[in-house]
Amino acid sequence: MVSKLDVIVAGGGRVGFETATILDDRGHDVTVVERDQERADAVSDQYVATVVTGDASNPEILEQAGVEDADAIAGLTGQAGLNLAVCMEAKEIAPGIRTVARIDTRAKESYTRFVDTVLFPELAGARNAANEIIGSDVETLADVTGTLDIMQIRVAEGAPAAGRKLSEVRFPAGTLVVSDDDGNRIARPETTLDAGKRYVVAVEPDVADEVMNLMRG
Amino acid sequence: MSARAAGPTDGESRTEARVSQRDRSPEADLGLLDATMIGMGAMIGAGIFVLTGLAAEIAGPAAILVFALNGVVTAFTGLSYAELAASIPKSGGGYAFVREVFADLPSFLMGWMLWFAYMIAGALYALGFAPNFLELLHVYGLVPPPEAVGAIALPVVDLALPAAFLLAFLAVLGLVSLNAVSTAASGSLETVFTIVKVSILVVFVAFGVASPMFSTAEFQPLFPEGGGALAILPAMGLTFIAFEGYDLITTVTEEVENPRENIPKAIFVSLAATVVVYLAVVTVAVGTLGAQGLAEAGEAGIAQAATSFMPTGIPIIQNGGAIIVFGAVFSTLTALNAVVIASSRVAFSMGREGQLLPSFGQIHHRYGTPFVAIVASAVVMLGSVVLPTQSAGNMSSLFFLLSFIVVNGSVIKLRRERPDMNRPYEMPFYPAPPIIGIVLNLVLTVVLIEFLVRTDPLALALSAAWIGLGVVSYLALNHLRTDPDAAEGTAAGDEQVPLEDD
Repeated sequence: MVSKLDVIVAGGGRVGFETATILDDRGHDVTVVERDQERADAVSDQYVATVVTGDASNPEILEQAGVEDADAIAGLTGQAGLNLAVCMEAKEIAPGIRTVARIDTRAKESYTRFVDTVLFPELAGARNAANEIIGSDVETLADVTGTLDIMQIRVAEGAPAAGRKLSEVRFPAGTLVVSDDDGNRIARPETTLDAGKRYVVAVEPDVADEVMNLMRG
Repeated sequence: MSARAAGPTDGESRTEARVSQRDRSPEADLGLLDATMIGMGAMIGAGIFVLTGLAAEIAGPAAILVFALNGVVTAFTGLSYAELAASIPKSGGGYAFVREVFADLPSFLMGWMLWFAYMIAGALYALGFAPNFLELLHVYGLVPPPEAVGAIALPVVDLALPAAFLLAFLAVLGLVSLNAVSTAASGSLETVFTIVKVSILVVFVAFGVASPMFSTAEFQPLFPEGGGALAILPAMGLTFIAFEGYDLITTVTEEVENPRENIPKAIFVSLAATVVVYLAVVTVAVGTLGAQGLAEAGEAGIAQAATSFMPTGIPIIQNGGAIIVFGAVFSTLTALNAVVIASSRVAFSMGREGQLLPSFGQIHHRYGTPFVAIVASAVVMLGSVVLPTQSAGNMSSLFFLLSFIVVNGSVIKLRRERPDMNRPYEMPFYPAPPIIGIVLNLVLTVVLIEFLVRTDPLALALSAAWIGLGVVSYLALNHLRTDPDAAEGTAAGDEQVPLEDD
C-alpha cells in the first residue's frame, strides 16, 4: 500500500492548477504539463508541482514528465479530444497507469471505453451555481465553509490510526472527525477508527497531509 | 507575480467536497534573511568549533586555506542545489531531488548515504559537545581540565566509562527523546540561534585580533614540514562537513517567499558569509594559540584559544573565555538537534517513498512525530558515539562528498532527459559547474579514502559495511514487496535498524 502517488496533470489552467494544488496539499507528487510558457512560469511560481513546458500529446514531453513511473495521469486541458489523446498515449506507454480525462459533455459512457474515469467539471460548477441560486436548503457543505476541507476518508489497512479509539489518536490541531463509521452517527471519543470504514473529517488545508498520514498510512 | 484569483472549484472529486484555496501555502513567510539564517545556522555550528583543532593537526597553519578551499568546492554543488530546489517543489532536500531523477537503486543509495551522513554528523557533534561542556565546567572550577577528567564508574552495570563518552551519549539520548515525543524542538528559533552563534564568534575574533598574543609569526611556515601543500587535502576531506548544512535551506523551500529568487540567493549568501566567518575564526585561533597548540586542544581548540586571551574578572561570568566555550556548547547542541531532525526526515521520506519499511514513513498516532524514523536514527547515533571524533568527522564528510557527487550528477541527468522541464533558476555556465563540482568532490573523496586506508581503516570498514547493509536491505525490501504475505508480520521494523556499530 503506497499512499503517496505520482501524478501527471496535463494542462496548467484553472482546473489543472487547482487539482495539482489539492494533490500537493495531500502529499502527492505532481508534475504539470503546460503548453504556454507564461502560464508554465506562473504555475512554477506557486511551487506545488514540477512543471514541464510543452504539448502533453507529444510522447517525448510525456516521457519527460515521467509517465513511465507515474501512478495516474489526468488530462485536464480545455480540449476533450486532447485530454483523451493524452490518456490513451499514456496508457500505451505505461499500461498500469490510471487515466482520468476531462470531457465537455454529460455523456460519459462513450468515453469510458478508452479511459478509466472521465469528469465533467462544468457539471459540478453548474450544481454549485444551482445551489446558490435556489438558496440555503440544498447547499452542500463545501459552500458554507471558508477554506476548510470536508472530506470523507476511508481508513486504510495498517494506517497509524487504524483500529484505534479517537481518544487515543492525536490529530493535529485544526482537525475534527465529524461522523462515525459510514456516516450514521456523530463521532465520539470512544469511536473506533476501523480500517475499511469511511469517516467524514473536517481539516484545515495545512494539516491535511498529516491527517492523511494518520488515516491512510 | 502570478498570484491568481482562484475561481470556484470546478473539479469534482470522488470522495470529498472541497473549496478553493487561495495560495500555495498559508505560511510562505520566510524571507531571504530567514532562509540565509537557516543555512548559516546549520553550517556554523559544530564544524568550526570541533574540527579546527583537528584540521590544524593535519595541515598546520594552512588550516585557514583548508576552510577557504572547501568553501569554493562546496559552492559548485550549491549551484546544483539551487537549480534543483527551484524546479522540483519538494521539501525533502537532496534525497527528494535524486529520487525524482534516478532509478530505484541509486536513489535508495543516495537516501541511505545521506541518512548515514546526518547520523554520523550527530555523533560527531555529540562528541564535540562533551569536551567543550567539560571545558565550560572547568572554567568555573567545577571539574579538573577535560583531559584530567577520568572515568565515571557506573555502579549499576559495574563498568567505568569515560565521562566525555557518557556526556555525548546523554546529549544524543536527550535530544532524540525530545524530538521523538514532540515537534516543538524543530521550531522557529533558528534565526535567534544563528545570531547568537555568529555574535559569539564575532566577539572571539574581535578580542583575538586585539590580543597581544595574536601574531602573524604563527603562520610561518604555512604548510607543515614534510607534507607540503598537498597535506591540506586530507584536512579538507575531514572538515568538509563544516560546510554541510546549506542544503537544509532547500528543505524549507515551500515556506519561502518567491523561492525561485530567494533560494539560490540564500544558498550563496549563506555560503559566502560562512566562509568569511570561518576564515576570521581560524585566523585568530591559529594566530593566538598556534597550530601546535590548537592541534593539542583537539575538539576544544577554539574554546582553549579563547580562554587563553579573553579578559578575566568580568562580573558574573568571571572569565571572558566562558562566552566562547558557551558558544561551542550551544553550537554543538543546536547542530546536534538539527541533524537529529534532518536524519529522521531522510528516513521518513524514504519510508514515504516505499524505500524503507512503510513504518518509517508514518507519523506516530500519539506524538505526531515520525517516531520510527527517529528511533532508528537514534540507534545508529548512539552506537556511533563510541567512535573517535576524527573517525566520525571522516565518515560523515565521506558520505556528504559522495551524496554531493550524486546531486551534481542529477542536474546533468535532468538537463539531458528533461530539457523542457521548467527551471525557474538556471545555473550560469552550464555544464561547467556540475562537472567541476563532481571532479572536485571526487578528488576529495579519493584523497579522503586514501587517507583513511593509511590512518583509520575502522572508519573505512564501517562505511563500506553501511553501504553493503544498504544493498542487502534494498534487496530484502524488494523481496518483501513482491511477496506481500510475508511483508507485514515478520518485518516489524527491526530488520531495518542497522546495528553494525558496536
